[in-house]
Amino acid sequence: MEPWRPPVSSPISRRTALGVLAGAGAAAALSGCGSSDSRTTLRWWSPQAAPDQLKSYKARIAAFEAANPGIRVVFEPTSDEGYPAQFASAFAAKQLPNIVTHLPSFAAQNYYAEGLLEPVDDVIKAIGATQFLDGTNDIYRTADNQHCALAIGNTAVDMLWYRKDLLQAAGIAAPPKTWDELRLACQKMQKPGLYGAALPYGMNAMTSLIFIGFIHRAGGQIFTPDLQVAIDSQPTYDALEFYRSMREFCPAGASNFSWGESLTAFVSGATATGIYGGRVLANVAAQNPAIADAISCTVYPTMSAAIPAWTFNDFPCLMIPKGAPHLAETKAFAAALYQPEYYIQQLHAAPGHVLPVLKSVPTDPRYQANTLIARYPAEIDLMTRTAATGHNLGQETSAHRPNLKANEIIASNAIAELVQRVVLNNEAPKPAVAVTAKRLAELMRA
Amino acid sequence: MPDIALQRSGLSRERRDALLGLLLIAPTVLVLGAVIVYPLLSAIALSFQSVYTPTLEGHWVGLANYRELLGSGGFWAALLTTAIWTVGTLTLQVLIGVAMALLLHQNIIFRSLARSLVLFPYFLSTVVAVLVWRWLFNDLYGIVNHALMAAGIIDAPVNWLGAMPNAMLSIMVVGAWKFFPFVVIAVLARLQTIPEALYEAARIDGAGPISRFFDVTLPQLRDVLTIVILLRTVWDFKEFDLIYLMTGGGPVNGTRTLPLIVYQQAFGLNQMGMAAAYAVSMMLVMLVFMLAYLQRARKAAA
Amino acid sequence: MKKRPAWIVSLITWPIVLVIAFPLLWMLITSVKPAAELFSTSPTLLPKAITFEHYARVLQDTPFLQYFANSMILATSTTVVVISISVLGAYSLVRFAYPGRETLASLVLFTYLLPSVVLISPLYLMLVSIGLANTLASLVIAYTTFALPYALWLLRSFMAGIPQDLESAAMVDGASRMGAFVDVVLPQALPGIISTALFTFILAWNEYLYALVLVNSDEARPLTTGVMTMLISAFNIEWSLLMAASVLMSVPLIIIFAFFQRHLTSGFGAGGVKG
Repeated sequence: MEPWRPPVSSPISRRTALGVLAGAGAAAALSGCGSSDSRTTLRWWSPQAAPDQLKSYKARIAAFEAANPGIRVVFEPTSDEGYPAQFASAFAAKQLPNIVTHLPSFAAQNYYAEGLLEPVDDVIKAIGATQFLDGTNDIYRTADNQHCALAIGNTAVDMLWYRKDLLQAAGIAAPPKTWDELRLACQKMQKPGLYGAALPYGMNAMTSLIFIGFIHRAGGQIFTPDLQVAIDSQPTYDALEFYRSMREFCPAGASNFSWGESLTAFVSGATATGIYGGRVLANVAAQNPAIADAISCTVYPTMSAAIPAWTFNDFPCLMIPKGAPHLAETKAFAAALYQPEYYIQQLHAAPGHVLPVLKSVPTDPRYQANTLIARYPAEIDLMTRTAATGHNLGQETSAHRPNLKANEIIASNAIAELVQRVVLNNEAPKPAVAVTAKRLAELMRA
Repeated sequence: MPDIALQRSGLSRERRDALLGLLLIAPTVLVLGAVIVYPLLSAIALSFQSVYTPTLEGHWVGLANYRELLGSGGFWAALLTTAIWTVGTLTLQVLIGVAMALLLHQNIIFRSLARSLVLFPYFLSTVVAVLVWRWLFNDLYGIVNHALMAAGIIDAPVNWLGAMPNAMLSIMVVGAWKFFPFVVIAVLARLQTIPEALYEAARIDGAGPISRFFDVTLPQLRDVLTIVILLRTVWDFKEFDLIYLMTGGGPVNGTRTLPLIVYQQAFGLNQMGMAAAYAVSMMLVMLVFMLAYLQRARKAAA
Repeated sequence: MKKRPAWIVSLITWPIVLVIAFPLLWMLITSVKPAAELFSTSPTLLPKAITFEHYARVLQDTPFLQYFANSMILATSTTVVVISISVLGAYSLVRFAYPGRETLASLVLFTYLLPSVVLISPLYLMLVSIGLANTLASLVIAYTTFALPYALWLLRSFMAGIPQDLESAAMVDGASRMGAFVDVVLPQALPGIISTALFTFILAWNEYLYALVLVNSDEARPLTTGVMTMLISAFNIEWSLLMAASVLMSVPLIIIFAFFQRHLTSGFGAGGVKG
């Protein structure tokens, strides 16, 4: 750009120049319009769009387009934080994507109940219902006996990650299985500069989601199978008591922990245990390779041996918005995502974190031909099995009806607030839980 | 040219002038009228309905949203929190902004680079800024705690974001850091146009730098500062990204400001009608402030 | 008028500037660290090893350059449109008298008071209905409306500070109203115009929520949403790539602004204004 000079020429030329610039700018801006491609265009949205994952998607798209010359697939990243806003606007303006992947199961149930999704039974049939790990699509079953979405990956979100070397040094033979054992282990391992655990106490979704798991591990539940509020019960108080007692073993900043900080606390070696999914493996390999041989995971301990394990799986799914054009082509592409060659590539982009939902994959040599998966076979196998039988607020146990308000309940931060009030503010548990129960009831009614 | 056309039209001088004035502000009014009036009225209309966000379908509920809003403690507590945050961060922004503008007005070495670097917080994306600050504030591997401990100022890491009043103070400071360049640029631009002669006259009269600042600079800055404070107040009051990403409104509701509630209602709880009611209430609060403030400013200038 | 540099003031100012810009320095250092050095619990300022792999990955493996180009076009267009309109409007507000002038000004500011969250859906619906979904043009329109009120008021305050003497003199000499505006007022208002242009540019450069909702295709996606959605997800943040991308987003702006700063001050001190 020329340095500005005082007007020696007529003022009109400068104004004209400005006008031309504005025009050029507008023209360039407008040229960002959609292309004049005559092929059928399918739009694919997903919040899982890290560079490695993008590569795997591009490979699948390229192959599909080559096999189907009349179709063009465009991948558009969305965000975990921002998708509610994007979706609301897309639905309202009928600017729908054809296919959406990697959103949690309760989002799918919510949207389906509002008539916003197509049932995907055709896609499941095309892939073959028996190809899926047993029960993995049950969480998507709807009231009218169809499937609102299908699983595209599983994540065992709240595994107990631990440092074998630190456990050994503290004289603990086996990883803890009950809360008392966990607390004792943290106590023994904690020393200046090293904390026992990395639990979240922040005002965010992670705290809510993780604490729901703790209530279940105390033998309780948030709702009854009939979706009556059940949080006001002894297991909740037990869980709160335990969660409070673990505060001293977590870093000071845990009161603002979200996913990133909790993960990094363990990966960086600042805590002896962590609570996370398979991302730990990739992050340790990249950010702290020194401890790579010392990490392992197990199912998160429950209050007592009698209480069964409960693992949080957000069940990333594939859904098809209703009203998007080219339904047949969309379903064809959806099924194509599960072709083992390309499906495995997608899984490899987030090894250990996005786990297979197809039976054939875990033993497929192509799947195992990945450094991390080859290096941690026991952990991957455990997470795969655990995740497949996992649950979330959308369906707390197999006996529960789908909870269509799960999204709103998490977004309301009601449970995170309960944790903060009781643990950080030292408020009395009973009144706090009563208030939370009331809020949950209101949310269910709304 | 429009004014020459008007000259030939035979209207009186005053009428021509007034018409030209209207013509010049017409593009502004047209753009705003065409683009923002419909969404504005839509939002106000939404506040009288109960609307499910993903479908934007709803039904009329009259004043029910407002009644619930005013009756619940949540609105008033959040209003107080928003006021505290706004006043705190605004004060810092103005003080630091004016100070830096004065410094950057002097003929320091590499002045262009300094001015540009000072702008950096403002044009860094809020999402990235918050991530970086959370990292810096982290008690395990953040450099702020590390440096303070190394300097012997504290002996254990401070929980900057997860305890009150730290959380409120932290967001005020980060907010000031992020937005004070706005004040710097506006004040700096105004400083350029203060005639040197005024300073000369004051110097001849024997005034030192401090009284030159209060007697010459500050009065000249009054107009710009009035506007800057008004605009920044509105902007800080509405600020969402920074607080949401930094603390999520926590601990408990220590930093839960009204914009956070609006967003939570709109896209978390899927209650667009209630969100609109909160938004309109926020707007009314700001409107009252704006009118009172402008009136006072007009009286002070007169 | 080349004054001698103020050394003492420099010694006070530069440390403050460096403290303010420290996060940039830190981002720079982090972006050249290998991933293994990211979260050391004894954080070091200087990296033990330097690598440019993160920059390479951002530039080669992601549509970063396209996003950058989009942001540039978007921010520049918005700035040009906003400045053109608000310069005229501000002049109208300070030099003309017509009924409803103050009310109009207040109404303009009034549109600025509502939180953007509740405006998104109706605005998006409107833009879709005129066929502009998913285009940069829709963002230019949206950002123009948000920047306009404050640009107007800011410019109004700058122009109000310009004494009327020279204009009157020029008009006595036979210049038309608009001629006087262009030849006399604009040059004196230039620092104000450049400041307002800077603000508008940054607003358009940084806006996130609207970009998220109004634009979904990579062809029209700006940097804010592009980089964020790519590198930040609920369970994972690509720290090194994010730092590299953020440095790439910031440094060009710093250079451009440093350039403009020079022209913010050259020759527009007391100039032709009588004391």
